[in-house]
Amino acid sequence: MRIIFLAYFLTLSVLCQAKTILVGKNHPLKSIKAAIAQSSDGDTIVVQSGTYKEGRILINKQITLIGKHFPILDGENKSEVISINADNVVVKGFKIQNSGHAALEDPCGIRVYDKSNVTVENNILDNNFFGIYIQNGKNCIIKNNTIKAYGKEEQLIGNGIHCWKSENLQIIANKISGHRDGIYFEFVTNSVIWRNISSNNIRYGLHFMFSNDDSYITNVFKNNGAGVAVMFTKNVKMFNNYFEENWGDSAYGLLLKEIADSYIFNNRFSKNTSGIYMEGTSRIKVEKNVFESNGWGMKIQASCMENEIVNNNYLKNTFDISTNGSLVLNTFNSNYWDKYEGYDLDKNGIGDVPYHPLSLFAVLTETNPSAMLLYRSFMITLLDKSEKVLPSITPDNFIDNSPLMKSLPL
Amino acid sequence: MKKIVLALFTVFYLSSCSSNEPKPLKLNSDSCDNCKMTISNGKLGAELITEKGRHYKFDDIACMVKFAKSGTAVAAKSFYVSDYLQDNTLIPAEKAFYLKGGSITSPMRGNTAAFSTKQEADQYKTKLNATSSSWDEIFNSFQ
Repeated sequence: MRIIFLAYFLTLSVLCQAKTILVGKNHPLKSIKAAIAQSSDGDTIVVQSGTYKEGRILINKQITLIGKHFPILDGENKSEVISINADNVVVKGFKIQNSGHAALEDPCGIRVYDKSNVTVENNILDNNFFGIYIQNGKNCIIKNNTIKAYGKEEQLIGNGIHCWKSENLQIIANKISGHRDGIYFEFVTNSVIWRNISSNNIRYGLHFMFSNDDSYITNVFKNNGAGVAVMFTKNVKMFNNYFEENWGDSAYGLLLKEIADSYIFNNRFSKNTSGIYMEGTSRIKVEKNVFESNGWGMKIQASCMENEIVNNNYLKNTFDISTNGSLVLNTFNSNYWDKYEGYDLDKNGIGDVPYHPLSLFAVLTETNPSAMLLYRSFMITLLDKSEKVLPSITPDNFIDNSPLMKSLPL
Repeated sequence: MKKIVLALFTVFYLSSCSSNEPKPLKLNSDSCDNCKMTISNGKLGAELITEKGRHYKFDDIACMVKFAKSGTAVAAKSFYVSDYLQDNTLIPAEKAFYLKGGSITSPMRGNTAAFSTKQEADQYKTKLNATSSSWDEIFNSFQ
């Protein structure tokens, strides 16, 4: 019996020759490149703390690269830092800094080239041109990374997490700031963005282009140059996100352009110039969101149709809704509007008179922005009140037939 | 003396209101008048000036062509494109030399870059694996 066991373990040890290679000051191997050269598929390389200036580190074997106490990999502003060119690679626990800055090659902190099942976890990326770049990847996980850059206006810089032509990605719990776009998706499908914090980026906190069937859930997008943009896309789910403090002429909490069949649920839009800006948007359901303290709660352009806006709270916005045409092809139902002045005699919680969310002045400023000077003047208030009773300039079918008397507990 | 002052005034007056010059693109602040995106790359931008002297800015040459053909604004008088090799410098579109495709990736996938000399364009043609093109071709290729 014992012999059988012994034979079993012997064959096992022959089969699994995965070894662990140590790199560091106190080990015979001082360089990560040399360790990768010695390794074979399935090995683990553990790197001790210290600073490693080795230029571009190319990982072309299926290995696990682990840093202990955040060893620093420095690109010295010359090159890409880590290039992953193999499947099943794990990179964990490094501080990756100072990649090159060039416009043509897009050097990155970490870049994945056409590979699948790559995991990038618990790294700190500091001052790189692009942070993490996934090019044509599948089933990759980017988790718990802190990505920071120091981009300024009028300067060319890459995105924090840039994903191109990929599928089944998981972008989880990263903190991104100071890049052009915090997270950028182009031709990415069936992916999820969950629990990230994207703030103080120069352009967008999150930017979707031509990326179908994705969802982003419980993220915070705060104080980015122009908020979040979801464009030329369909089937996107946006749940439980915070869109906050995106101020500026062309800044929006959420910019929707040419997007269809999507669901916006339980988000909070507060302190933005415009909470949501919609153009060429169709068949979207906007449900149970809070629009609070924005300049404009929602700007719905006339090119939008068949959108459903239900059960939202509109609180303390300068304008709740604004539009640029007289055509109304969207439905508003059962929202709470803090500007509603109707009554509820049958006490069923729904106002007895319909509410016109579009104020006269919102229409006027849309066509003539400088009319904003007259906001809160006596004449305008008077006109607004009479417009509410007898709509003449504002479309009379722009209406919420069952406005709520109390705000929803969201 | 009076004449000189008058002449000077006219010169200043005329030069101050000439709207033929393109206004520089303010990166990460101006937004594209066609696609609404904030312009962030000064190498691939474009600008259009209408016959009435109004300026429209774009993040991609494709956006400018599409905008010009959409009939949103009055007819265009002149077109400008960003020089790919300089930071945020606009050059007249008719006089530029173009490369298309290859590894040129522009914000709205027009993937067109403009160069001020033919020599520069040829030099980057192999580098970027692109094909050369002309303004007429570019203008006709986007709808």
